[in-house]
Amino acid sequence: MFDLLPHLLNGLVLGLLLALIALGFMLIVGLMEQINLAHGSLFALGAYLALALTGPKPPLPADLAALWLQVPIGWRYGIALIVAPCLAGIVGIAVEFCMRRTYGKDPLYGLLLTFGVALVLEEILRLTWGTRDHVLPIPQSMSGGFIFADLIWSTYRFYAAGMAAIAIGLVWLLIEKTPYGAMIKAGAHDSEMVRALGVNLSKLRLGVFVLGTMLAAFAGIVVAPIWGIRPHMGVDAVVPAFLIIVLGGIGSFWGAVIASLLVGLAVGVSGAYASEWSLLSMYLLLVAVISFRARGLFGKKSVLEV
Amino acid sequence: MTGTSSDARLITPTMLGTWLVLATVPLWISAVGLYPYIGVEIVIWSIYALAFNLLLGTSGLPSFGHGAFFGVGAYAFGLTQFNIAANIWVSLAGALLAGAFAGLLVGLFIAHRRGIYFALMTIAFGQIFWTISVKWHSVTGGEDGLLNIARLPVNLGVVSFDITDNDALYYFVLAVFAVVVVLLWRLVNSPYGRILSAIRQSEVRTAHLGYNVWLYKLSVIVLSAAFSGFAGGLFAMAQRSAFPDVMNLAQSGLIVMMTLVGGGLVSFWGPVIGVIVFLIARDVIGAATNAWMLYFGTMFVLLVLFRPEGIAGTAKLIAERWRSRSATPAVLSSETRSG
Repeated sequence: MFDLLPHLLNGLVLGLLLALIALGFMLIVGLMEQINLAHGSLFALGAYLALALTGPKPPLPADLAALWLQVPIGWRYGIALIVAPCLAGIVGIAVEFCMRRTYGKDPLYGLLLTFGVALVLEEILRLTWGTRDHVLPIPQSMSGGFIFADLIWSTYRFYAAGMAAIAIGLVWLLIEKTPYGAMIKAGAHDSEMVRALGVNLSKLRLGVFVLGTMLAAFAGIVVAPIWGIRPHMGVDAVVPAFLIIVLGGIGSFWGAVIASLLVGLAVGVSGAYASEWSLLSMYLLLVAVISFRARGLFGKKSVLEV
Repeated sequence: MTGTSSDARLITPTMLGTWLVLATVPLWISAVGLYPYIGVEIVIWSIYALAFNLLLGTSGLPSFGHGAFFGVGAYAFGLTQFNIAANIWVSLAGALLAGAFAGLLVGLFIAHRRGIYFALMTIAFGQIFWTISVKWHSVTGGEDGLLNIARLPVNLGVVSFDITDNDALYYFVLAVFAVVVVLLWRLVNSPYGRILSAIRQSEVRTAHLGYNVWLYKLSVIVLSAAFSGFAGGLFAMAQRSAFPDVMNLAQSGLIVMMTLVGGGLVSFWGPVIGVIVFLIARDVIGAATNAWMLYFGTMFVLLVLFRPEGIAGTAKLIAERWRSRSATPAVLSSETRSG
């Protein structure tokens, strides 16, 4: 049993990271009933923007760049963690303005629109930063490893998991404990009534979409030091995010979090026995669950089904 | 859907025209600066897109993992050729059956779903097939793919053609395309096809009319997957290899994109138009700039925003306006689909 501990722990960390990746996607699909296929590209965009801010060649005039490089890496990393999601949020605003035209239509149009946006974004990333792999520099204090139970553990993975847990907690507070959360949920449930009550729904939707975008970018920065930065990273991340949403049930916050942890554990533990096939375990988990619970673990009947 | 006389015909004038134009392609394709192989690609992808549109356009089921069936067909073509019999008909039948089987397997899990849930499930299943194709080295060759797939001679009993040459291959796939078009046209315009479009318009109403919606959806998923697998088999033969990348999410998205750009939602021929536009744009823009996806993606976004009915739909709209201007003030046509 003790042999499994590292796999369980790795699985748990992976689960938290997956939850962080799925969080923004979940917000948009659950509260706006729009599938954002560009989620993965926005995730990658966040990582690349952070790279531009912390990397050796910041996109600034020469003397400013030199000054910026004087700033300790810890500060630069911290600033990137806040600034890069904000920059990605601006892209999110643009996408939402396009997406407005598809509200109230067949959800297929939103899906196709964001697929197009994903293609464009990925191509822009490829043109700007090239196709090769990049490494996001992280502060010394967060890198390296430590020894626990006779095994070497990567310190950063635990920092990343911690950041993921904090982000999950904050989003939960926002949608469960603030009037904004109530408005967002009500808007998903009965948009006409919410409008009649004097809430500016289009502003609210813009806000939710931008928040989802920023969470995607934030996830990208947190995950980048572990998985590396390449143009394709978005697709690698968005697929587990879809899976988690379906597994957890559309519109369920805790469903998504629990599904992420389950997927993480499934991948982690199956990695102990058949590392080649560990990725398949999450799909098998999905198939097993939806065979018995067609709407996922905690899914309720959704408007999306009609 | 209005039942015009051409809907009931086995072979329509549009079909004949399309075949004739496509038959002349090898004569002028090099003269306009394109390479001959693109003709083969266009015809094969047209079969794939028409098969895919059986779900999206006819039945209103958005599949975002259709590459899985195409890929399964491609691998099945190679594997039947290596392990069962090196005969083109056996291999193509293998591709068709493998696609149908994969479709049945997926369909059993998703046939009771619709809308976005359906799309999400097809993405998940597409990824399952993709992962298997990447990881199962002993059968699929993993990332390296299945190589050395032969272009087998076309054995017609009395005569046998060699299709190793691109022009010969082109005429073979064109002949196959002609047969598939007739089959699919019949299917879409049969009572079965009418029920499928009824399901597209309202599943609940169709069910209340006494039709077993689940069975219809399952069967159309199997049919679409079978034809997609068949196209995959042809593609493996044309490429002389099968790779996992035709099964990934981006490639599965491309077939949705091609079908939609062409106007698969409003016209039987939409998917074919989309494939032609997409592949030629890929070659022409791709030759001028390596950022062709940027331009194509932007074009696609604009299309979804302003002309979701695609090229065929826009053409139809223009034709209708022109007609109503030149003739008597016509009643706004309610016709949504025709050849």
